[in-house]
Formats: sequence, structure tokens, C-alpha cells
Amino acid sequence: MPLSTDQRERYSRQTELQGWGAEGQERLLESSVFVAGVGGLGCAAATYLAVAGVGEVVVCDGDVVERSNLNRQFLYTRDDLTRHKAPIAAAQLRRLNPDITVTPVIAEINRSTAQGLIEGADLVLDCLDNPETRITLNRAAIAASIPMVYAAVAEYTGYLSFLNPPATPCLECFVDGTRPAVHPPVPGCTVGVLGSLEAMEALKFLTGTGETLAGRLLVVEGAVPSFDVIEIERDPDCPACRGL
Amino acid sequence: MIIYLRSGGKLKDRLKPDVDQYTRRIEVEGDKPLRDILNEVGVPDSLVAFAFINGKLERLEYRPVDGDVITLQPPVSGG
Repeated sequence: MPLSTDQRERYSRQTELQGWGAEGQERLLESSVFVAGVGGLGCAAATYLAVAGVGEVVVCDGDVVERSNLNRQFLYTRDDLTRHKAPIAAAQLRRLNPDITVTPVIAEINRSTAQGLIEGADLVLDCLDNPETRITLNRAAIAASIPMVYAAVAEYTGYLSFLNPPATPCLECFVDGTRPAVHPPVPGCTVGVLGSLEAMEALKFLTGTGETLAGRLLVVEGAVPSFDVIEIERDPDCPACRGL
Repeated sequence: MIIYLRSGGKLKDRLKPDVDQYTRRIEVEGDKPLRDILNEVGVPDSLVAFAFINGKLERLEYRPVDGDVITLQPPVSGG
């Protein structure tokens, strides 16, 4: 559908990007992205997807807002304590961009629910906070042939990659999902950087501009500070994607 | 042979850097996997998620060669 006058102006600072244009914006407005988790990473990633004009942003989280979230999860305030995150995040995102559809889903992502939750999405964003659920999401994305952006953080450290097996490794090719979940200290700036980079991967993929991190892992060490891009390869014995 | 282990993150304290604030020089005797070398210098492999050498991810079974600079990254799972 051609852009309206309002949309042409609203999105002009990004449609001016080489290769993006009105066509890229129209593709974006027709896209659906599933954001798994609206904690620190999810607040940042979903915000930039929404204001960029991704047509449908699905925000999925089963948690409620806790006081200790407020240092980094900027879609929530003290007034939201004990309320479910997904509908609050959705309302905030709609305020930022009434032009798009934001769908809140209050659900835990597990082996029974994952496949159904991500159905119909063009892209999945892993904004989760534990290895076990990441592995579940990875397997669901592989089964549905939906690409996934991976990010994880702790302290000033963050990892990011674009996963689309068999063209790239899947998450289990290089991440050990059996490690116990921990809740490390995380300043808001770390999830802000990594969540924004997840949105950047999504926007590049959906508009066909730039190069994604397919086959590469970005390692952010904010304490040094350093940004390194590392080649990653498929594991031929990967329990999740071997045989693809 | 001599190898160099680096970490800028939370592994740094375990690594006890001595070359600069991120790097430790290690003298390795014989041919052995990185996992064994880490355990010998007091960095349990459970604390290492990734090791990369010359811009490429390597497993802890990798057998270092003289002069390798190996960057260690901790497991990270938060969101």
C-alpha cells in the first residue's frame, strides 16, 4: 500500500537512507515482528521497531513489573508495579506510533506455546533473560523457518547475532543452553545498546538494506570498551539444526 | 610455547592480567586443549562461554599454537 502524506513525512529521515526508500517503508509497514520478552532488551528493541513503522509488533511476556526493573525497562513506571508488562508496553508503543498495530500477549514461552506464539511473524527477536527459554524459542523459530535475532547481556557485556539456519548457525551451534539462569547486574545502558542493535538487525533484514550479522557474533565489552565481530560456524552435530 | 589470554569482562579478575590490564602471558608445556590450560591457570571452563582467536570463534577443545592471543568471554544470559 502506498505511503500516505503523513507517513511520507513521518518516516522521511529513514526513507532517505540508500536502498530504503518508500518501497522499504512499505515492506516494513507490512511486516510482523515477534518480540519475545519486554524486559530490558525488549523495551529498547520494541520501541525502535514501533517508531520505525514495523506494521505489527507483537510484545510477549508473562511477567509483571517489579521495582527492580525500573532502572532499565523504560516503558514502565512506579504506577505499573505488579501489572503485566505486555499490555503496558503495548499501550506505550501505540502512543509513540498510532500508525501501527501493537499486539500484547501475556504468556510464558515454553515447549507447548512457542510454536503457536511466533506463527505468522516475519522475524523473531530474542529479548529473553534465560538460556532455557532461548533454546525453546530457537527450536520453534527453526521449525517455523523464521529468522531470529539473538541478544544477551550481563553487566557491561552483550552478544548479538542474526540467526537463519541453514544459511547461518542456529543458537545452539554456539550457545550452551544447559547453563543455569542467573540474574546478573545490568545497567540500563547495556540493554539499551543491545536492544537498539537488535532493532537495527530487524530493520536491515526487513527493508533489505545493509548487512545483517548472519554468520557473525557481535561481542560488546562496554567495560573496555570494545566491539568485536567474530565469525561463527554451524555445528554439524548441533541437536537443533543438524540435517537442515 | 607462549600464548596470551585476554578478557575485558568479568573474567578479568580470574585471569590475573600481567601484560596489560586485560592480558596474561602464559607459558604452555606440550600440546593441550584450551580447556585444560584454562583450568590450570584458575579459570574454570564453566566461566567461559566463547573463546575467539584471530576473529574466529573456537571451541575449548582448540589446541593453541605459539603466539596465540585468545580472548575469553563469559556466559551471558540476561535480557
